[in-house]
Amino acid sequence: MTRLTGGLIDRSKTLSFTFDGKTCHGHPGDTLASALMANGVRLVGRSFKYHRPRGIFSAGSEEPNALVTLRSGARAEPNTRATCVELYDGLEASSQNRWPSLGFDALAVNDALSPFFAAGFYYKTFMQPAAFWEKIYEPMIRRAAGLGRLASEPDPDAYDHGFLHCDLLVIGGGAAGLAAALTAGRAGASVILADEDFRLGGRLLSERHALDDAPASDWVAEAEAELESLPSVRILRRTTIFGAYDHGIFGAVERVGDHLPVPQTVRQTLWRITAKRSLLAAGATERHIPFAGNDRPGILLGGALRAYANRWAVTPQAKPSDRVAIFTSTDDGHRTACDLLAHGVPVLAVIDPRQDAARLGEYQLYSGAQVTGTQGRLGLSSIQVSQNGRSEWLECAVLGVSGGWNPNLHLASHHRGRPQWSDDHLAFLPPAEMPPGMGVAGAAAGHGSTHATLSSGASTAQALLSDLGLSAALPALPRAEDTQMAQGAFWHVPGKGRAWVDFQNDVTVKDIALAHKENMRPVEHLKRWTTLGMATDQGKTANVTALAVMAELTGKSIPQTGTTIFRPPYTPVALSVLGGGDTGSHFRPRRLTPTHPFAEQRGAEFVEVGQWMRAQYFPRDGETHWRESVDREVLAVRSGVGLCDVTTLGKIDVQGADAGAFLHRIYANMMGTLKVGKVRYGLMLREDGLLYDDGTCARLAEDHYVVTTTTANAGLVYRQMEFARQGLWPDLDVQLISTTDAWAQIAVAGPKSRALLSRIVDDTDLSNEAFPFMACAELTICGGLRARLFRISFSGELAYEIAVPARYGNALMARLMEAGADLGVTPYGTEALAVLRIEKGHAAGAELNGQTTAAMLGLGKMVSKKKDSIGAVMSRRAAHEADTRRLVGLMPLDPQEKIPAGAHLFRPGDARDTASDQGWVTSACYSPHLQSHIALGYLEEAEARMGEEIVVANPLEGGECLARIVSPHFIDPEGERLRA
Amino acid sequence: MPDLAPLTALGATEPRRATHGALTLVERPDIALASLALRRGSPAPQPFGLALPEAGCLTGTDGFDVFWTGPGQWMIAAPGRADEDFAARLAPVAPGCSVTEQTDAWVVVEINSGRGSAPLLALAEKLVNLPPASLAPGRATRTGLHHMSVFILRPAEDRLAVMGMRSAGASLWHALDDTAKRRAAV
Repeated sequence: MTRLTGGLIDRSKTLSFTFDGKTCHGHPGDTLASALMANGVRLVGRSFKYHRPRGIFSAGSEEPNALVTLRSGARAEPNTRATCVELYDGLEASSQNRWPSLGFDALAVNDALSPFFAAGFYYKTFMQPAAFWEKIYEPMIRRAAGLGRLASEPDPDAYDHGFLHCDLLVIGGGAAGLAAALTAGRAGASVILADEDFRLGGRLLSERHALDDAPASDWVAEAEAELESLPSVRILRRTTIFGAYDHGIFGAVERVGDHLPVPQTVRQTLWRITAKRSLLAAGATERHIPFAGNDRPGILLGGALRAYANRWAVTPQAKPSDRVAIFTSTDDGHRTACDLLAHGVPVLAVIDPRQDAARLGEYQLYSGAQVTGTQGRLGLSSIQVSQNGRSEWLECAVLGVSGGWNPNLHLASHHRGRPQWSDDHLAFLPPAEMPPGMGVAGAAAGHGSTHATLSSGASTAQALLSDLGLSAALPALPRAEDTQMAQGAFWHVPGKGRAWVDFQNDVTVKDIALAHKENMRPVEHLKRWTTLGMATDQGKTANVTALAVMAELTGKSIPQTGTTIFRPPYTPVALSVLGGGDTGSHFRPRRLTPTHPFAEQRGAEFVEVGQWMRAQYFPRDGETHWRESVDREVLAVRSGVGLCDVTTLGKIDVQGADAGAFLHRIYANMMGTLKVGKVRYGLMLREDGLLYDDGTCARLAEDHYVVTTTTANAGLVYRQMEFARQGLWPDLDVQLISTTDAWAQIAVAGPKSRALLSRIVDDTDLSNEAFPFMACAELTICGGLRARLFRISFSGELAYEIAVPARYGNALMARLMEAGADLGVTPYGTEALAVLRIEKGHAAGAELNGQTTAAMLGLGKMVSKKKDSIGAVMSRRAAHEADTRRLVGLMPLDPQEKIPAGAHLFRPGDARDTASDQGWVTSACYSPHLQSHIALGYLEEAEARMGEEIVVANPLEGGECLARIVSPHFIDPEGERLRA
Repeated sequence: MPDLAPLTALGATEPRRATHGALTLVERPDIALASLALRRGSPAPQPFGLALPEAGCLTGTDGFDVFWTGPGQWMIAAPGRADEDFAARLAPVAPGCSVTEQTDAWVVVEINSGRGSAPLLALAEKLVNLPPASLAPGRATRTGLHHMSVFILRPAEDRLAVMGMRSAGASLWHALDDTAKRRAAV
């Protein structure tokens, strides 16, 4: 519980928060981690596998240990890194993976059993019986080994997404990033500067270095103010660039409202940034040195210890007199000791394995020494220091560990570039092949000193801009330290005790040795066998160290042993923000028909058809089952007149001098011969000769056609026609445009449809002679409204489709209802529409499923041999010619026996298997007209089998019945009704 | 005039309107639309005195606007003429062209800013993946917005128009309105 003086926290304000229900206090500028430290909390979590007590290990997004559940109830968010959480008043945090409490965790028994839980334990142990895996082993393992738990309630917060474009994206707002942004911003380039922290400055905020003899934070503030004033610069704080994708596109998450008790607008924004050039200035992550018992609370990265002291004015000491030790193989660790001494923190010693290590300040130095053990149940109490074959235990509450710095080159490797080992840096440097247009500067490029970092930021930005033809002057940079930090290649302390490499996954040096022994030596195997580098931290503090340990075991060099590459995301990204915020009914766009208000008013049930919401049926008072409504609607059409909104069918306006020739090639049947004022049914084939779509084509004028498509294929057919127009036959003079939404189209079907329509048309003779089956016309209705009338029929009855400008669709429907009241006019939905067409034997999507031919539909002769069209030649392949399957009707011997769509057909007595399969049922319904269930299906050698009995079997759900094979035209096979 | 009462794309008799901070969204059912496509060999006409603009551009005269929609294709817009058979009016002044009625194929939402360009651009970056140059006054671009295909028109510094398919009008309005509301709350 130690606050030092200084730091970048606002002590004038106090914030309250709770950890495991206990009230604590902090200040603006604190992270949850620094505030926990200031409240004396050392134990913050339990480890993944062994449930070992763990404390805060780092001061940044690399944190493996201090994972908490933030908030509660529906807003609970598990696995949040305390080191990245900006403190706010009322923050609630709780520890994870412990029961009953953090201090006493029953599953800590796993730790005592650790010899059984070595690498590959699960793979070796839970093998038999196989059936146990899903129901018993996996739930048990998940319960024992785990992180936080998801909230079970829906997320109440909003998320959104957005798009940004810039000349230069600067990833990281530390010394290099700020210098780069100033260079580019002053040159007038459009710049986005993103940093995951809530405060710009990066590592400058955590060091005591002066810039131009003033605190570094002064220069940061000046740079920030200038960048804010530049109109072409945009600063994104609390924003993590998590992935580098193709074509200069970067994924970013801005935590807009995570630092507020309740977000004002959205919690997070997903940005898609398109950058002409990018500069990776993401800094570096310190690595630790594994030694026996190195995971106790109170042991943390040396650089983090320095950051907590300098930026947040806090240490993990329980009381100010607690002694702090440093274990380091680099001069950087000595710098930590100096900084702590400057803050008045008692430094016990610096332990350095290098024989020639030199003191940089007034502290005791153990050179050529190592830390070989630790004690302290829930927090460090003493360390064992070994030097020249002698060892001693020293009382100590905090130990900073510094093993060198690994450049944060992750994004540079997102396009599969392999990082390159540098013996000079004892680290991997960015790959030679980076995402196009990317540069790397600062610590991410391996620079150590502040001076080198600042100047590399500026010069790299200058070079990137020059690629774009923009000239930028190098800014005058502040005077900064330029010390070379010496370091030793020291990767781990050998010994018998467990020495953790990957804290988050409880992977020790022994586990790596075991993986080596079991021949899991390539890094990819090592990772999967031991789980090293997995989970939320993705091994940021572990990967390189693990590689070094493996290299030592194999006797190879680190680059020979392998390297690791990185994939997005750099840090965890919530699924909510990837979803972008559109949930529930807004998950995807919905298309409403022009008569939607009418249907809603009538209490229609709606069904999603593609994006469309279509009325499925219109229940009336007293109807308790959908079939009652549908049967009534079907009978009303067959006996009187019904109305159905068919706007959803695609409409494509085709014009041009060669429009007819074009349609001739698009449709399999003759279309160019269609007369003006006539409609024709047409089939479109795919290139492979199978059926693509069907519909009607109306010729409104010499050079003007309207093609209709099925609802589902409206977009596809339009796209295919555009492709044909632009790509296949650019020589034809054809113009296309969709008019699907422009016209409301209503089917008026039934023997009384003519009578009804006659009441609304203006001066048009609808008699059979003047306007026969398959006629079409442009006319006016209701006192001058332009309309189009088509005499076509899907139901098999005398029927029309009338189209008016969409804004009038709803009123037209109401008018038809009003005008036809005495005719029994009835609105019907898609269910009745389907029953009517099945009764008539008309094909729909289930019959045109991509596996069927025109011949199978009984329309083989429609594929004209007098001309060429898309798919015509391929439709005449021998395999198609030999196909004897045809569309048939099926009537169950028991009329009340339901035939399931998708059922397969077998000869009575045959095995119900693939070899004896005879075909399948495509569509089925109850026909109120025939008072029997009926179905359509494809059947082999169908033409010769009319009247035979066939088994309709449903092997998936069980059950089968006998049906008679009949014509697919259950009603009016001669078509007398529709020509009436 | 027909004795049928029209509805707007959003299902009402009056155009929808909403104000969020500096931005006012208003549905524009009064705008008549017709597409114009050049036929082979036909010279570009100047219907209603409009010079057909280059790719990605928008221009206008008193009472008429035109924007490019594809190679050899444009959309002509005429505010206040949605009740007319506008395609029939356009055809004679666009000889040798294919003209198609498009008035009710689209929902047009106009977004006006009381504080100039900035609120419009701040809104647009949450809606469409377009670089600022494509959103400059005088530009018209077809792009995706919340999984819908739209035209984004920038007729003036303080005005943006979004055209989406009429049937998805409610979804489009929701996306625009929600985003504008959130932007205003920042």
